[in-house]
Amino acid sequence: MTTMPVRRRRWRNTAVGWSFLLPNFAGFVILTLVPVGLLFYYAFTEWDVFGGATWTGLDNFRQMARDTSFWTALTNTFYYSVFHIPLTLGLSLALALLLNRKLRGVAFFRTVAFFPYITSIVAIAQIWNMLLSPGFGPVNEVLRWIGVANPPGWTTSADWSMPAVILVGTWRDMGYYMLLFLAGLQTIPAQLHEAARVDGANAWQRFRAVTLPGLRPTTFFVTVLITINSFKVFDVILVMTDGGPGQSTLVLSQYIFQKGFEENQFGYASAVSIVLFAICFLVTIIQFVVNKRGSDR
Amino acid sequence: MKRSLAALTALLLAVSGCSGDGDGSEESGPITLTLAGWSLATTPEFKTLADGFKTSHPDITVELKEYDAANYDTQMIADLAAGKAPDVYVQKNLKNFYTYQNGKQLVDVSDVAGKLGPKVGGLNFYQVEGKTYAIPYRQDSWVLYYNKALFDKAGVKHPDGSWTWVEYAAAAKQLTAGLKAKGDKALGAYQHTWQSTAQSFALAQTAGANLDSGDFGYLKPYYETALDLQIAGAQVSLGDATTNSLTYQAQFGKQQAAMMTMGTWYIATLLNQQAKGDADAFEWGIAPAPQLTKATTGTSATPVTFADPTGLGINPKSSARKIAAAKEFLAYAASADAAKALAGIGVTPADNSSVADTIFSLKGAPGDDLSKFTFTSHDTKPENPVSKYTAPLQNILKDMHTEILSGATPIDAAITKAQDRAKAEVLSK
Repeated sequence: MTTMPVRRRRWRNTAVGWSFLLPNFAGFVILTLVPVGLLFYYAFTEWDVFGGATWTGLDNFRQMARDTSFWTALTNTFYYSVFHIPLTLGLSLALALLLNRKLRGVAFFRTVAFFPYITSIVAIAQIWNMLLSPGFGPVNEVLRWIGVANPPGWTTSADWSMPAVILVGTWRDMGYYMLLFLAGLQTIPAQLHEAARVDGANAWQRFRAVTLPGLRPTTFFVTVLITINSFKVFDVILVMTDGGPGQSTLVLSQYIFQKGFEENQFGYASAVSIVLFAICFLVTIIQFVVNKRGSDR
Repeated sequence: MKRSLAALTALLLAVSGCSGDGDGSEESGPITLTLAGWSLATTPEFKTLADGFKTSHPDITVELKEYDAANYDTQMIADLAAGKAPDVYVQKNLKNFYTYQNGKQLVDVSDVAGKLGPKVGGLNFYQVEGKTYAIPYRQDSWVLYYNKALFDKAGVKHPDGSWTWVEYAAAAKQLTAGLKAKGDKALGAYQHTWQSTAQSFALAQTAGANLDSGDFGYLKPYYETALDLQIAGAQVSLGDATTNSLTYQAQFGKQQAAMMTMGTWYIATLLNQQAKGDADAFEWGIAPAPQLTKATTGTSATPVTFADPTGLGINPKSSARKIAAAKEFLAYAASADAAKALAGIGVTPADNSSVADTIFSLKGAPGDDLSKFTFTSHDTKPENPVSKYTAPLQNILKDMHTEILSGATPIDAAITKAQDRAKAEVLSK
């Protein structure tokens, strides 16, 4: 063993560590951290990209308070999230439990469940739009066949467009979260289940007393991810309904895109982004607090 | 350690691109201009202009820089803000002209405009406070395409230029019924999903209609016609068109509909698709777009229609010498020579007074007089009148469009809602 001075060795370790971090960190700083930092400045200005931004103080936020479209977008975002979060959470957990057993071709079924997540969102939207097409779509054909006289208009109806988008969003996302749950399920020691069984616990009791507590860290992680992704939902809606009909599926991130990139009001768009950021931030903090309390018990 | 630091520095310098934008601006000699375009493989007009200009100006080379067609304005705005935009860039439509002009991203080209003939259509749309900021080279117009074979099959008389929207709607219903009787599933009309198919006709044809007024009552009759045809089954509903991603090229080209309003850019596409077999082979023609009142119908009147011009503007960040060369290019693009070259590839030039023969001599083009009349005579109003409010107002009206045609809200209520939104969100600012 060479006799390298401790200080020098420590410096060397730090340098090695930094060199591993640097490629990703540099990209993160240039492409994410700096723009996000600038966002907090632009939110208080009026800026159309060309020339400098004019400081307008809280004007953007005052305008937002009066902006009915903003409130519509905010309400729709909550509408989407309130249904999308529990649905995706429940279904992905159910799928994971189903596919965590030893059954024939389990790898195949896992792949099938994961497939929507890696499929191009444009293709997904196109196919679902056709399936849900009010006039000739197979979904409504089936509904008519089983006796529904007036099946919903889905993405072409102001009342049904949001449920349609939630349905597709859930279908697309559940495979991914299923994978996380599957990984979580593998970490629960089999002996615990064994012991519970010996004690006479039935399937439901074992699920409540062993599986759920064992999954706690995974469930927390998945919930945080789904929540943030639900509030940020953009692509599914943009390609499926483009916010329509009317403003029935307009969500915050799409509103930001519209104001910024279509109407060149980057100051106002930044201000709306901050609201979205604040919502995600707040909800995540609440989840952390709740989780902490739960695990301290 | 030292060595690796030096290597890192060198790498960073290389990555950050420490290369000045060597303009090499000598006072004379050959010069190269850059011109923005989109989908260069399928949009030959930019190369046609560049090549045509080179023959009369051998010292000036125009190089093309490709942009994505769907995100053209977003990318161009980013490039202009970063100082990396080409010397000459296209105004794809008028929706973003205000942004460019107000953002001081366009050179005043009034001197070029002053020398152009009176026949260049769309020039005045680029004027702000007496100064011109872009030169149109192309001016499409919306017309009515009709399938002569399907009209004959249904036993309906061909359009004769005398139609208002009332006759148009009646013909659409007759066609649908007549075709159905003959066992043909084609519908009478196809209205594409764009808001302009109803709104821009209304704005162009209604006396006193003004987008900036925030009073959208003028849209009502146009939506009544569209809804009426949807309910009667004489045209595909907006919902079916969007959910099935219908394309207007297939609807008309594959004979799914007997007539359709569309811009004159579709002439070149249709000829091309018929030649290649992507569209069915059938006889077709163009007629003036249906009018709001009888006053502008008939071949002795000038039908009112709409479309934005396509123009060229100059990037103010270019050197003085390049700007001078670019002005020559703009003058060429609006000239009669360029018009002939553009017509040769099926594009409707801004000065279309003398090119009808060129377009209609293309293989597969209609030969009837009404088609020629339609191509040359029209009072074309802008789809996007130039104003600070145009982009946000069009977004509000787009929501209204889907709201009405999906049947979610009755016409009057939807119009009132759009007016309220326009006042609160746009016009009060």
